[in-house]
Amino acid sequence: MESALKDLRYAFRQLLRSPGFALTAILTLALGIGANTAIFSLLDQALLRTLPVRDPGSLVVLEDTGRSWKGSMSDHGGDQAAYFSYPMYKDLRDKNQALDGLLATSPTNLGFLRNGSSKLVSAEVVTGNYFTVLGVGPALGRVLTQADDLQKNGSPVAVLSYDFWKNFLGADPGVVGSNVSINGQPFQIVGVAAQGFHSAIWGENPNVFVPMCMVPTVLPSVDDRLTARFNRWLNIVGRLKPGHSRAQAEASIDPLWHALRAEELKSLGTVSPRFTKDFLGSRMRLLPGARGFSYQRENFQKPLLAVMGMSLLVLIIASVNVASLLLVRSASRGREFSLRFALGAEASRVAQQLLIEGLLIGVAGGAVGMLFAPLAIRALVSRLAGDQTSVAFTTEIDLRLLAFNFGIALGVSVLFSLAPILQLRKPDLTLALRQQSGTSTGGMLRLRRVVVCLQIGLSVVLLVAAGLFARTMQQLRAVDVGFNTAHLATFHIDATLAGYKNEQIPAIYQRVIEMLAALPGTQGVAATNDAELAGTSGGGSVEVTGYVAPPDTSIIIEAEGVNTGYFAALQVPLLTGRLFTDGDTVGHPLVAVVNESFAKTFCGGVQTCVGKISDAPIPDVSNNRVKVEIVGVVRDAKHLGVRDPVKPTLFAPLRQYTVPSDIYLYVRTTGDPAQELTVIRKAMHQLDPALALDNLRTMDTQIDDNLQNDRMIALLAIAFGALATLLAGVGLYGVLAYSIAQRTREIGLRIALGSSRLAVVRLVLTELMRLAALGIVIAIPLAFGLSKLVQSQLFGVSAADPSILLSVTALISLVALVAALIPARRAASVQPIIALRTE
Amino acid sequence: MSKEAKSSSLIQIDGLTKVFFTDEVETHALSGIHLSIARGEYLAMSGPSGCGKSTLLSILGLLDTPSGGQYNLNGLPVANLTFAERSRIRNQEIGFIFQSFNLIGDLTVFENVELPLTYRSGMAASERKDRVARALDRVGMAHRTRHYPAQLSGGQQQRVAVARALAGSPSILLADEPTGNLDSKNGEAVMTLLAELHAEGSTICMVTHDVRFAAHAQRQVHLFDGKIVAEGELQQLLAELEQPPVRIAR
Ligand SMILES: Nc1ncnc2c1ncn2[C@@H]1O[C@H](COP(=O)(O)OP(=O)(O)OP(=O)(O)O)[C@@H](O)[C@H]1O
Ligand SMILES: [Mg+2]
Repeated sequence: MESALKDLRYAFRQLLRSPGFALTAILTLALGIGANTAIFSLLDQALLRTLPVRDPGSLVVLEDTGRSWKGSMSDHGGDQAAYFSYPMYKDLRDKNQALDGLLATSPTNLGFLRNGSSKLVSAEVVTGNYFTVLGVGPALGRVLTQADDLQKNGSPVAVLSYDFWKNFLGADPGVVGSNVSINGQPFQIVGVAAQGFHSAIWGENPNVFVPMCMVPTVLPSVDDRLTARFNRWLNIVGRLKPGHSRAQAEASIDPLWHALRAEELKSLGTVSPRFTKDFLGSRMRLLPGARGFSYQRENFQKPLLAVMGMSLLVLIIASVNVASLLLVRSASRGREFSLRFALGAEASRVAQQLLIEGLLIGVAGGAVGMLFAPLAIRALVSRLAGDQTSVAFTTEIDLRLLAFNFGIALGVSVLFSLAPILQLRKPDLTLALRQQSGTSTGGMLRLRRVVVCLQIGLSVVLLVAAGLFARTMQQLRAVDVGFNTAHLATFHIDATLAGYKNEQIPAIYQRVIEMLAALPGTQGVAATNDAELAGTSGGGSVEVTGYVAPPDTSIIIEAEGVNTGYFAALQVPLLTGRLFTDGDTVGHPLVAVVNESFAKTFCGGVQTCVGKISDAPIPDVSNNRVKVEIVGVVRDAKHLGVRDPVKPTLFAPLRQYTVPSDIYLYVRTTGDPAQELTVIRKAMHQLDPALALDNLRTMDTQIDDNLQNDRMIALLAIAFGALATLLAGVGLYGVLAYSIAQRTREIGLRIALGSSRLAVVRLVLTELMRLAALGIVIAIPLAFGLSKLVQSQLFGVSAADPSILLSVTALISLVALVAALIPARRAASVQPIIALRTE
Repeated sequence: MSKEAKSSSLIQIDGLTKVFFTDEVETHALSGIHLSIARGEYLAMSGPSGCGKSTLLSILGLLDTPSGGQYNLNGLPVANLTFAERSRIRNQEIGFIFQSFNLIGDLTVFENVELPLTYRSGMAASERKDRVARALDRVGMAHRTRHYPAQLSGGQQQRVAVARALAGSPSILLADEPTGNLDSKNGEAVMTLLAELHAEGSTICMVTHDVRFAAHAQRQVHLFDGKIVAEGELQQLLAELEQPPVRIAR
């Protein structure tokens, strides 16, 4: 212990004596550790942390394994199997024996008016037992209870989230009991939820919680939300009974689910045997709910893991760099070590000293890294979250993060201290006694060469990743989505949030469309109930006349309600038949236009499609089950996202159905759409200032936002690749400069023996090329293997893309050459006379 | 010196000077050396430490350039050649033997001896191998070709160094204190080897301060303070040095 303290003091002095070395080493590590700490923080929040609720381990998320359904789906995303209708929820809640409590919830937006200022807020519509089941109490006032959720529209109360209360209402304690207006209806605020609690849905950050019974007020557009069994829009979270395992509960709830399905099937009337089989084949699954239900976690998981992998590689490279710095240093301290050994020091004592010096550097690097981690987290969060400001990532530093940071600093310290220690293993004292072999380079150099190979190899891996992700981004940008995205402005409106009644909605939307179309500089206006390339989709199964589904093929299609001018405005060409006309309204025969994929899948081809009758699984259709006649076929266009393939799609005229509460508008402009945004905003304000424009932007911006994750990975991969290459270049320079210094005498001798300067330069370059080639040869299969892991994140590029491998090889060779320039020059200028000198 | 002697000698040096400038201090390491070495001659150079022996040898070996004076090697003035030309001449005409052997630790005995030959363009690999084998055989090290220098004794290392000097069939062998790092027995062995080489026709110029070894040579040259002095003169000068110095040197 005392010796350790002495070593520590000595280590401090050593570092202070060579501040350049200390600074380089500490900053290199700080970069690596800081990046890792930042990314770990996100990873931890996204994937590891449990909900701040009572006993999160006993929470389960309900999911059914069915893959065939009717009716509308939630547009919140994620696996559709995780959504249930309210009647299903009630049955499951009241009849199950396996779970202690079962809550249902759905996120939405609300128009929130308090003290005369209005605001669009994120909200969650929750069952009365939401807080009780979770075990979350109030910070102020009270939380919602079952008593708030007894009677339809009977309980206009709301609970605020702690963050909302604090950040937007100034932590006003008088808020409890105050009256506000939500979607134009009076509500009373009864409390503020506990600090730290966000939602039972991971990634959601609702400002307001309202009871389920108020759905007719807060979600007025669909009037059967609480009664229609096929309308699945709720997530269900349950709590296991004490002592029950998930498997037990699953086994107990599955028969109930099966019985519910059988009953529901009866109400559906005649359906195909295939539908019946799928419908009854559904099973109930209980997933671990400790970290909350999440439809976003999947989106974050892959990119975060990929980025974490890359940042770990950077950290290893940084450690290797510090290791090689330490090796140079211990080379120049060779005499000190020999002396220590000569004085009788044991190898373990000298190793201890090296380790303590390493730890000192490592911990200092970790501490500096900790300083810039929050900056990196903030930058990452803003990239990750994009315009979904509700994503609940915090940039705060907590104990877990500190522990991770400290742990990783300790880990890498040991890692890079190992190199100089390894070379102590067999100290050859006689070598020091034999002065004659002055040109021998020794094992030290060999170790440093290994280190450089490693660095080059790891850099190659990172550069390949950077290349793959950059190419992915490039390819995604260049994808032809099937419609013209240039000169297109888009936004989203929800008239119910401005106080419009359901019966007024078709008229106001028609006015909006006509007004936009009449703007100077507008060529056309498209309106749809499901945003284009925004990651959302709605739809269901279809039956088409004359089509019999082969076994195990999907009969799920996408369905979209659109306005008359939709195809013309988006410039989706008609292949056959006709587009919608102003005559396709309520009271006229129901019609549909389908895309090419639909025609090929269900009609046997584009030409044979027109005139066929199909189901129309359109969201928000109030009729039970409608048949429509296909009147036209349009060319395929992407809908879900740039990455996603085109699905069979059926378009129906919005005006033949109950118009949804919110629609997405696309304005084709003649000029720059960015310029047109202000014109649109002004015109909409004139029309009705209460109609809030959501996400007004150009289509190209929206596509870019949609590619947020891809761009973040590409950016980080390029940054990490550049960092790694820089570190490798510096490392390479260090080794070569050191090796040249060590070999000055040898090089002098070679020149004395008649070597030309060119031959000496070649000597340096040969060493370099050997190192680089070995590094590359080792790295490429590794890079290939690793890129297989991220294949799902790639687009339009193969993991073994030869042009990327070639460019990476060229780049790293170039960097190596540049790194070799100065050492090679130094070698070429060695004077032959050196050979004559005796040391 | 006669014109004929000049033309027949391998090395001809006239009025050679070498001045080192370091930190504003001029060191006159050589001040007006006249020397000729004939083909087949065995010359020993001696003198007190710092008198300029190594400096002279390095100029003879084209490792360094003189500050002034003439130097003809094989009738060719070499003072103002380019680096590349000097490299070529060093490689073909001169064989070095160093006090500290200067074998490359990462190369085997064979590779060390082969090294100067690899700098020669146009020599077939087979001839190279052949020459290396002969040179190693000549110094009695043919059985250790695969060893590394660190695995050899000092005397063995110096014999390998001699083989390396021989392998290129140079016009002259230049040796700077070749026995300096060897015990007397090994030193004697190397001296014998040089004497044999001389007997076989090699031209040798050796620096040594050991009178016993200098005696192996045909001719002895004495250096003092950058000048060549006669033997008797040297003894006298050395005797003077034993006295407390009267004036500060230089
Ligand atoms: N590169 C140099 N720069 C400055 N002075 C030098 C340099 N090389 C040699 N000298 C000086 O020139 C003089 C002659 O040196 P040299 O090495 O030739 O001596 P030497 O006779 O070989 O001595 P020793 O027997 O100790 O090897 C010395 O005074 C030395 O300090
Ligand atoms: Mg000398």
